[in-house]
Amino acid sequence: MNALSYISISFLIIPLMALFICILLKRSRQNLGFYLMGLFTLTQMGFALHGLVLFNNLKISEFLFGLPITESLTDIFTLKSVSLVILFCIGLVALVSLLIANKTMPEDKKLSYLRLLSTLILGMNGIVLINDLFTMYLFIEIIGISSFVLISTTKTQEGLESAFIYLVMSALASILILTGIAFIFMRTGNVEFSYLIEVAKTQGNAPQNALTYLSYILIISGLLIKTGAVPFHSWLPDAHQSADTSVSVLLSGIVIKAAGVYCLITVTEIFGNLYVIRLSLAIIGIITIAIGALFALHQNHFKRILAYSSVSQMGYMLLGISAGGVLGLIGTVFHIFNHAVFKSTLFTNAAAIHEETHTLEIDKMGGLQKQMPITATTSLIAFLSTAGIPPLSGFWSKLLIIIALWNAGFIGFGITALVLSIFTAAYFLRLQMNVFFGQTPESMKNVHEVGGSIKFAEVFLTIITVAVGLGFPFILLYLEASGIL
Amino acid sequence: MEITISICLGFMLIFAVIAVMNKSMLKSAIALALVSIMLGVVLYLLSAEWAAVFEISVCSGLVTVISVSAISLTNEDKGQLQKKYMDKKRMAILPYILILSGFLLVFIVLTAKIDLPYDKISEPVSDSLSEVLWNSRQADVWGQIIILLTGAFAVVTLFKEA
Repeated sequence: MNALSYISISFLIIPLMALFICILLKRSRQNLGFYLMGLFTLTQMGFALHGLVLFNNLKISEFLFGLPITESLTDIFTLKSVSLVILFCIGLVALVSLLIANKTMPEDKKLSYLRLLSTLILGMNGIVLINDLFTMYLFIEIIGISSFVLISTTKTQEGLESAFIYLVMSALASILILTGIAFIFMRTGNVEFSYLIEVAKTQGNAPQNALTYLSYILIISGLLIKTGAVPFHSWLPDAHQSADTSVSVLLSGIVIKAAGVYCLITVTEIFGNLYVIRLSLAIIGIITIAIGALFALHQNHFKRILAYSSVSQMGYMLLGISAGGVLGLIGTVFHIFNHAVFKSTLFTNAAAIHEETHTLEIDKMGGLQKQMPITATTSLIAFLSTAGIPPLSGFWSKLLIIIALWNAGFIGFGITALVLSIFTAAYFLRLQMNVFFGQTPESMKNVHEVGGSIKFAEVFLTIITVAVGLGFPFILLYLEASGIL
Repeated sequence: MEITISICLGFMLIFAVIAVMNKSMLKSAIALALVSIMLGVVLYLLSAEWAAVFEISVCSGLVTVISVSAISLTNEDKGQLQKKYMDKKRMAILPYILILSGFLLVFIVLTAKIDLPYDKISEPVSDSLSEVLWNSRQADVWGQIIILLTGAFAVVTLFKEA
């Protein structure tokens, strides 16, 4: 076995190890669990980066591997350069979530949180690595159940209600995806990605069978629910608002992308990048951007604004998928990474504000930049990156997506997406003005900057946003030199 | 046999509508169990014996037991929905929508000439359940184990008293 084999297997073995350690851990030792999980997520990030370097050195784009337990498990997973980026994001967002949970999660819930976080990471890593449609569905279910319980851990009326809505929507998505997979299985008798790609190639641009189209519609609809795209977004704002912030950051930062956007990238490739599918995704993408942004403008709860902002940003990712081609794929994956970073920053800001002020209603806040200068600065940078202001990282990914749309002939969609980014700036400007600028209310005069792990997460994520933004031209040159672009 | 399947599917639809629309949770749970039994019969008639066994034992057996136990643990107005939910305008139109969509589905299947399972490109590797599970779909077995484990965590997290 070479280094790449060890790295690949570690993405499944590490969360499994974390899971068993968390099962054995006693409540009195739960802080040790936090440190270990932190170490595991850092290891995942390190291995993902190392994997990218190895891919470039070996000049390969994918690597088949299996688990050395039984023969049946050989070569059932594929590591790709795209999956390595997502795996890095999973590690990063999980680490941020841990840093927040350390402060915000009630003591008696911490152990359950750690256990469910490890199953969640396992599910997401599995989705990114698996090369079989049905097993992908199983991993989606693991993510669904873990997220449902994580949302409801607060056990408040709101939390339980939104967890229930998530459960119902998740079940609906499962039914759609499973029925779609069943139809595909009926047609082909095999659901391995490589086999399905071959079948799609033989079909060319137009599958002859109505059942094939029906299965595509069902699977994509199911995945759009998981993504939180309009009109399937109803579960997302409630879930984000009522869950603990450490859970919101997971949901918004990575869960909707691994279980939604990444699976959509995979299935559109399997379905042969059909024009009709790409066009539908482009239309849904534009509607999602517009509706998400318009709803965000009218919210008064900090986390609800961020949730609708996530809906809106998912639209850009759908546009990237619809553009197709290498540029569209790179744009989408890079936007997944950027969104994971800047949305995690904003949720960390939300956690910091809630810790200090005990409210997230933006109408009740004001002038917090004097009391919380680090939170205000990091929030401003994250907002500028979300709005796509150069030279921050968000600008580059949106630029790539719009160029890809242009190249794909979706010029109208590209221009509309560009115009709609003004709305992003509008709702974040409102958020910033209400929370950080203006007069400080009497009740918040004694508020001061948050400390500890949350402050560290804010600064750490902001450094990534700025560094990636400034260094992106070099990343592009690197991609060009590697022959990817 | 096709007539028997159609009758079972018809009953499934009726019981499903009852399960959704009935105001008594107990009756809903029983109707849901009947849906599963009907589905089990359909699966058996379509020669999917293993699926039928699991459907009847788990979905109509275990799930019903859990549902009925949960309902019996609730305090007030046993079997009745909470008043605030009953006061809401109920979707009386729902059964009609369900039945219409059922007819629409049948219409689509008949007009679009959708080929049902018989035009597979490749044949299944093996018919033996254990062989299929262990040789072809072992990853799914492990996936199921993780799902069960997650479910166990869910129960512990949600129902454990602090």
